[in-house]
Amino acid sequence: MIEFRNVCKSYTGGVDAVHNANFSIEKGEFAFLVGSSGSGKSTIIKLILKEEEPTSGNIIINGKDTTFLKPSRIPYLRRSMGIVFQDFRLLPDKTVYDNVAFAMHVVKATPKHIRRQVPMVLSQVGLENKAKVYPNELSGGEQQRVALARAIVNNPSMLIADEPTGNLDPNTAWDIMELLNDINLRGTTVVVATHAKDIVDKMNKRVIRIDQGNIIRDEKGGYDGEI
Amino acid sequence: MKYNSIGYLIGEGFRSVGKQKKMTSASIIIMCATMFIFGVFYLIGENINFIMKQVESQQGMRVIISEDLETDQIKSMETKIRQIDGVNQVTFYSKEDALASIKERLGGNLEILEEYETDNPFPDSYFVTLTDLTLNSQVQEQVLQISGVEEITAQDDTIASLATVAKGIQMATLVLLVILVVISVFIISYTIKLTVYARRREISIMKYVGATNGFIRGPFIVEGIIIGVVSALITLAIVGLAYNSAVNGILSSSVVQIINMTLYSFSDIFAKLLIVYFVLGTGIGILGSIISMRKYLKV
Repeated sequence: MIEFRNVCKSYTGGVDAVHNANFSIEKGEFAFLVGSSGSGKSTIIKLILKEEEPTSGNIIINGKDTTFLKPSRIPYLRRSMGIVFQDFRLLPDKTVYDNVAFAMHVVKATPKHIRRQVPMVLSQVGLENKAKVYPNELSGGEQQRVALARAIVNNPSMLIADEPTGNLDPNTAWDIMELLNDINLRGTTVVVATHAKDIVDKMNKRVIRIDQGNIIRDEKGGYDGEI
Repeated sequence: MKYNSIGYLIGEGFRSVGKQKKMTSASIIIMCATMFIFGVFYLIGENINFIMKQVESQQGMRVIISEDLETDQIKSMETKIRQIDGVNQVTFYSKEDALASIKERLGGNLEILEEYETDNPFPDSYFVTLTDLTLNSQVQEQVLQISGVEEITAQDDTIASLATVAKGIQMATLVLLVILVVISVFIISYTIKLTVYARRREISIMKYVGATNGFIRGPFIVEGIIIGVVSALITLAIVGLAYNSAVNGILSSSVVQIINMTLYSFSDIFAKLLIVYFVLGTGIGILGSIISMRKYLKV
C-alpha cells in the first residue's frame, strides 16, 4: 500500500532529512512512525502526501509509483488518504457538520450523499450531537474527532496522522488512539507519526523508528523495542 | 464540473463576499474609480469620433462631368461611382444648381452673373462623400477611370489631416484602455491576494483533502466576478448621470449651437458601455483572482 524504496530527501541548504529509507506498509496495517522532533518523521509524512519530492528513490502508493506523478494528479492521490494533523486544521467559520461536508464537496459528492454520509461519520466519532456547533466551542479532543471525521468521510483506503495527540491531554489522547484503532479495524490502513512513548507502548503495534533521517528499527512492539 | 459543485462554489463565493465586507467594498470602490475614469475617457473618445464622422461626412470631392455627356450617360456614371468601395453619398448638382449656389454665396443679382443666365459656364457635377477619409486618394483614382469624368476637385489637405486626427484619437483611446485595464487587474489582484492570504489556511486544508486547483479557485473567481459586476453597475449609474448633465450643458452652450454639432445621448451609448463594463469587470475579476492565487496553490 505504501512502499519506500531507497528514498532520500535533502532540503536545499544541505539538511539531510531522510536517508535511504526502505519500508513497506501493507493494506489494513497499523503502523507508528516514531522518533524525536527533527528525526525526519514529518518529512516522511510529507513525502507520502507528495507535499515534498524525494531527492532520490521511489515511493509507491496503492501500487503506483508517485515519483513521476503529474502535479495535476496529486489531488486524486490525496483523495485516497485521510489526513489528520496535530493542530486539527478545522475551519473556524464553519460548523462541525460543514467542516466534514466540506471534504465531500471537494470530491464533488452529491448533496444527497453528503446528507447521508456526514451524520453517519459524526456518530462514528461520537459527535452526533455537536453537528451545529463551531470548532471554537469544542474541546481539543472533540476538535480532533471532527478532524478525524473529515479524514474518513470519503472512505479513504489509508489514514495518515501527523502527531494527532500532540495537543491533547493523556486521557483524550488515548480516546483518539482508540478511534484510530477502530478505524483500522474497519479495514483502513493507518499510519501515525508520534513521539508519545506511552501511547506507542500501550498500543503494541508495528513501530518504525527514525533517528536523524535513518530508520533504525522496524518491528512490532513498543517505542524502544519489544515489550 | 458537475452541476452540484458549481452551485456550491457560487454559494461559497457569495458567502466570502458577505464575510469580508470591508475588503469587498474597498475593491468595489477602487474598481468603480478606475472604471469611472475609463468611462469618462471612453465617452469623450466616442463623442470625438462621432463628431469626426459628422465632419467627415461633409468632406468629399466634386466630380466634374464632361459637357458632351447625355443624360442617361450621366445617370449611369452615378451608378458606377456608387459601386466604388468607400463611397458614402453621391449627390448630383446640375449646371443650374451650381449657378444658384454661386448666386447665393455672392448675394443678390450681380451684373456679372446676368450673362451667365443665358450662357451658363458651370459644369454638371457629382458631390461624392466618403465613408472613411483615409480612402480619399484611392476613391479619386477609381473615379478618374470612369469615362466622362473631366476632373476632380477636392480639399485633399483638409481630408488628410482630418483622417490623421481621427486615427490619433482612436489610438489614444486604445492605449488608455490598455493602461487602465492593467491598473485595474493589478488593484483587484492585490485585493484578492489579501483575501487569499486571509484564507490560506482554508486553501491548504482544501489541498490536503484532495481539492483540485480549479475547485479551490472557484469561489475566488466567483468573488472576482461579483466585485466586477457590482462595480460595473454602480459605475454605469454614476457615469450615466454625469454624462447626461454634461451633454445637456455642452449642447445648450452658445458655441456649440453655432457650429451645429450633435453628441451621443446616453441611451445611444448605454448598451455599448454596458457590454464594455461587464466584459471589463468580469474579465478583470477573473484575471485578478487567477493571478493572485498562483502562489498559494503550490502545496
